[in-house]
Amino acid sequence: MTQKKVYITGMGLISSLGNDVETVFRNLKENVSGVRSMPEWQKYKGLNTNLMAPAMNYDISCIPRKKRRSMSPMAEMGAIATLRAMKQAGLDEENPWKDINPQKSVMIMGSTTGSPGALESHFQKLFENEGPEGQTSTAFFKIMNHSVPANVALATGFQGPLLSTGSACSTSSQAMIQAWEMIQSELYDFAIVGGADEAFYTSAAIFDTVQAASTKYNDDPNSSPRPFDINRDGLVISEGAGVVIMESEESINKRNAKPIAEFSGGAYCCDGQHMSQPIPESMAYTMNWALNRAGVNHLDIEYINAHATATVLGDRQEAQAIATVFGKRPPVSSLKGHFGHSLAACGTIEAICSIEMMKADLMIANRNLVTIDPECESIFTLQHNKEGRFNTILSNNFAFGGMNTSFVLKNCE
Amino acid sequence: MDKNVIIEHVNEVMVEGFELNTDQLHPDAKIVDDLELDSLDAIDMLVYLEEKINIKVDPEKFRTVKTLGDVYNVVEEVVIEAGKTR
Repeated sequence: MTQKKVYITGMGLISSLGNDVETVFRNLKENVSGVRSMPEWQKYKGLNTNLMAPAMNYDISCIPRKKRRSMSPMAEMGAIATLRAMKQAGLDEENPWKDINPQKSVMIMGSTTGSPGALESHFQKLFENEGPEGQTSTAFFKIMNHSVPANVALATGFQGPLLSTGSACSTSSQAMIQAWEMIQSELYDFAIVGGADEAFYTSAAIFDTVQAASTKYNDDPNSSPRPFDINRDGLVISEGAGVVIMESEESINKRNAKPIAEFSGGAYCCDGQHMSQPIPESMAYTMNWALNRAGVNHLDIEYINAHATATVLGDRQEAQAIATVFGKRPPVSSLKGHFGHSLAACGTIEAICSIEMMKADLMIANRNLVTIDPECESIFTLQHNKEGRFNTILSNNFAFGGMNTSFVLKNCE
Repeated sequence: MDKNVIIEHVNEVMVEGFELNTDQLHPDAKIVDDLELDSLDAIDMLVYLEEKINIKVDPEKFRTVKTLGDVYNVVEEVVIEAGKTR
């Protein structure tokens, strides 16, 4: 079967390293960390991690009050990232949808949960008032499962099919792969795709409870997380949004849009075996499936953007899976050491950064990788930024629930 | 609580809750047409007013409200009923 080509034509993000692609990439090149100590979290009983990578300040005043009142921070970040992606894709700022057929376009976006901050406020008031008295009309719109895409649609005036993906840390990578599938199958030819999440102590607590959060570096925040390093002790949560515009070749030609990169294909697959423990065989299966669907050989992959959140088990299992498929050949790095883990947003944010790496002929190394864990030595983990031309990459994201996602991107230049 | 204090409280709710400017807040201002508040805002206005004056407000009393002046009057009525006048 002849593959339809699917391209990325717009990218927008909000993150711990900056709110525009240029700033973020400069910070990555300069090995900047977005992680901060959170002494205010010490009041929470039983919370051992005091690390977080907050998003850079952003200005939400560009969105009118009635479109903003139902937004939590994750929806705000999603909306701003979407507006930026739309702008880069060349959509008219005043009337963005004039050249887009609503029956041939789709929005696929999600978050790990609804806003954890709004959820806490809602239930705090519910318990204090012994009932729903005193709840505002917009409280639910911040905590419903499709809060991010619904608010983004409101902010942008998008009218068309809207899907909410929610698979925690693989949310936005799954969204991109689904968009690719739908454009491939000619259901749609234009897609607004991404994920957003806000960092809140309750999100950190989830990982803390399963002993997956970093706790030994509370007083030395820039030294954690440490993907693939022997002294890694867990992930650091972050927040942000990453949104891309994906289009068929026909849509691009019709709009006279400029492709930034090709989304060559991908696969998402649940392992159905364990809620939290990553299974290398399932990860490798997903990577191979992604290669197959993208129509490339493992030898075509010149760089791998790993999920590697710096948990002891996760990094080891991912390294084992990568080694099974690729051996020790392609350079591998995770960006979690710079950004922290932005959960639902990380798939698109890392895709955007991988595209920027190809355009800059520069692979960004793992941050805080001082001593490679012997259990991760079966792959080529980058300890220093690497210059040189490369045009085809594979990116991984994995999530609770046995969710595995992998996709292939190609440079368009 | 005299009328001026009530007006001050209501205006604070309008500014803090709905980002209105004080120069928009005159008694003749129409809630829907001039201040552009809608049905969701109306629900939130009651919540904010209840918090501000610390009195439970019956939404039925606001059914016929059209202008900001009407809001001042209804709140005054609620305050009087609650026995909080000085």
